[in-house]
Amino acid sequence: MGVGDMIGSSTPRIKRQSAIRLFAQEFSEANLTEQGVGEYDPSFVITKLGIKVNRALVSGVIERLERREGDNGPSFSGVLRDPTGNHRFNIAPFQTELQLDIEELHARFESGDRFLMALVGKSRWFEGDDGGIFTSFRAEEFSVIDQETYMHWLIDTSDATMRRLKSHENSLGVELTQDSLKSSNVPSDLIDGTIMSRQHYPDFDSETYRLGVLKALSSALGRNNVTEIEDDKVIEPSSSQEETVSSLTSSNAPGVIMDTIRRLDSGVGVEYDALVEACTLAGISRESAEDSIEDLRDTRGDIVEPRFGFFRLLSK
Amino acid sequence: MMSNIEKYNLQIIAVKQECPDSDENEVAEEFRRYEEEFLIPPEDALRSVIRKFLLATGKEESNFSMPQKVEKKVNRFSELGSEDKNITIEVFVASYTPRIQMIRGEEKQIAYGWIEDNPWEEVSNRERWDFKDWGQHSSQLAPNSIVRLEGVSVNEWNGKKSININRSTRVTTLREGESTSVQISNEPSTIAKISENEGFGSTIGRIISVKADVIVKKDGSGTLDIFRGKIADSSGSIGFLSWVPFDFKQGELIKLNNISVRKFRDTPEINISNDAKIELYRDNNFSSLEDLSQITKSNISDLRNGMRDISITLQIITWEQRTFTSEDGVERIVRSGDVIDPTGMCRLTAWCDFNPKGGDYIHLTGTRAQFWQGSPDLVVDDIDQIEQVTNAPWEDIDPSNHWVEVDFDELSNGGSRRGIRTSALIVSVRKDSGIIHRCSNCRRVLRDDACAEHGIVDGVEDLRLRFVLDSGVSNASLLLSKGPSEVFLKNTFEEIKAQISTSGSDGFIASLRNSLLSRKVEVEGRALIDDQGTMILAERMEINQSPISDSANNVMEKWGLEI
Repeated sequence: MGVGDMIGSSTPRIKRQSAIRLFAQEFSEANLTEQGVGEYDPSFVITKLGIKVNRALVSGVIERLERREGDNGPSFSGVLRDPTGNHRFNIAPFQTELQLDIEELHARFESGDRFLMALVGKSRWFEGDDGGIFTSFRAEEFSVIDQETYMHWLIDTSDATMRRLKSHENSLGVELTQDSLKSSNVPSDLIDGTIMSRQHYPDFDSETYRLGVLKALSSALGRNNVTEIEDDKVIEPSSSQEETVSSLTSSNAPGVIMDTIRRLDSGVGVEYDALVEACTLAGISRESAEDSIEDLRDTRGDIVEPRFGFFRLLSK
Repeated sequence: MMSNIEKYNLQIIAVKQECPDSDENEVAEEFRRYEEEFLIPPEDALRSVIRKFLLATGKEESNFSMPQKVEKKVNRFSELGSEDKNITIEVFVASYTPRIQMIRGEEKQIAYGWIEDNPWEEVSNRERWDFKDWGQHSSQLAPNSIVRLEGVSVNEWNGKKSININRSTRVTTLREGESTSVQISNEPSTIAKISENEGFGSTIGRIISVKADVIVKKDGSGTLDIFRGKIADSSGSIGFLSWVPFDFKQGELIKLNNISVRKFRDTPEINISNDAKIELYRDNNFSSLEDLSQITKSNISDLRNGMRDISITLQIITWEQRTFTSEDGVERIVRSGDVIDPTGMCRLTAWCDFNPKGGDYIHLTGTRAQFWQGSPDLVVDDIDQIEQVTNAPWEDIDPSNHWVEVDFDELSNGGSRRGIRTSALIVSVRKDSGIIHRCSNCRRVLRDDACAEHGIVDGVEDLRLRFVLDSGVSNASLLLSKGPSEVFLKNTFEEIKAQISTSGSDGFIASLRNSLLSRKVEVEGRALIDDQGTMILAERMEINQSPISDSANNVMEKWGLEI
């Protein structure tokens, strides 16, 4: 008698997908997706570090939580913020089993309370008209968590991210076949995703993910020098990237900001955090990025902030 | 000591610029919460805090959702206009031609071809359009297949309309197209490699054992002479079943070409038929029979359903015998007991006159494994397969507390085991946790007061907790029966029942979720593993209490990180 028999399954079941631990930055930068072939086959978002994400366990402080009435009932959209960026999630009207709990949290949020949450969700995406991919999660289960649980999540996710970083490094310069990657110590659960990600994404600087890990571990250990670490690391280029990074000074910030808005704006503007994140990824300090956003908005008038925190290019 | 207002002075000024009516103390308290409770430094928290105070004053709209897409379902291309997007349509794939194209400075694989609408009708009733596949759906868009496309758009160029299949398009195969042929390599693989999957191949191995056997045909029409045995190389061993005469002896090195590997229950096995070619092989460096005998010794953690010809050393824990009357009316005796080794615990059943004492060490050869209720059960058919071991092969094991620590991922990728201890995070609290009712005849869980076997019956109350454990790589269902649930919840059945009657079943599940979601737990029990996944039946569960600093330092040390 198999496990399936024991739990009363009469038809073959597709194995449950594991909940990937990943920080917001890695997920939000992913734009490669894979649809299942059959009706019930899982779909995936594949990150640059080669993990295929169907389900994830994410955590962070609640940043936004919006309720919207629809013909079929209320739906909710929210954002959880972790040390590297924002996780978007939503709850559809048909998820009636979650409505009571999310209504309760929504009331807390609306009253001005903020809290840490853990959320298990299925990855989903939306493709903008220009081909840009916007990733998010459809919540399956969630809960308010205490700081200790959040710290453990930061540590676990750091560990999982470092494992993927190591795997990514091992895959560089290796023929993209199952056997070659296996013999280069790429873990079996990362082989398919690594092949797809390496074929899809152009070369990228994986150091930014390492910085996210350092930031998360610093937070978990309660150290306050996170920003200093981040800035120190960002301006210390590795020898192979020296040329690239040396050209990325704060004078590039306006260009990066304008490009990012041009690339990501699907009509509702681009979030402040996304602009700052794009700049830090390009090796520009947070301070310079913030100065440049203000300069572009207030002095040069190249961008506008039609709603607080959302920026668009000013049509001229 | 610096006050919060002094500490966050710069940030407070920034918030006051956007929200002049905000209270300084409240703003300072919010920055303190972000820094101390949510671990976000004040410079990073600035925008979040501003947003919070803007929301409080009603100045900030929180509408940030992505635009909703409107889906258009059609049956015929003729229903489509040049501006239509997010279309769902079923089509026949007439051709599919991939090519590499430079897009925004990057090499991308795209494909083009023909698709036809109205795919379930005659060709004469279909319309054919061009398509471009921007999403690398080659595996789903095989020529001659019928697929449902969800999320495609119309492209019009010089008055001619075509379909764009985007990266986000969902392609569902409704009828298979042309299949690709499978290449079979005749290069010999290691035994470990050919054991990974079912299929055809070649390998080289030394014969560890071989014996003639007879299979009785199921239809009673006679018997078949066969040969069973085991071959090994330095990577592992595998059993074989030959349907043709097998003229090789124990110890000989052979090359096997064009053999098939099939799984018997959970165990891969080489099948040798008329198409196979077997010949003696010469390689002076190949491992000797003596060396390979050590490799081919099993332990309890290696046991898989359907394994044969097992060589294993065990310690007897308990032993008993019972008499029963078999189907042919003959009274027979079966002896069985619990056995352990350093890797775990299992049952041993003997169909021969074997009467050991608890604590005896034994070595078995040529035994087989079958699973009973998902757990491994070793079976001895002949007393000659058993040898008493006088020198203890390992230090004393305390059977009352013999939990073998197993990595969660290793456990999920192995076979069913008893006596294991493992840990992972809870990522789901199942809604059917709590008080359940079982059939008084068969103990099945009642659904709507009815048993699947016995219909409407008076249910017997029981308690169970069900979760999903997850490591980020593997996952398992976790089940705690009444006793372990009471111990974990530190409440008696009656107390838990009272709690559920007060807060309701949903309230009980919510309280479990609030205290356990994303928490790491350690469990002891047995794991049942098959093609559909892993289920752990826990005898004990405990929340892992390892200190944050230890966990963080372990991760930093593991990956060579310094802060």
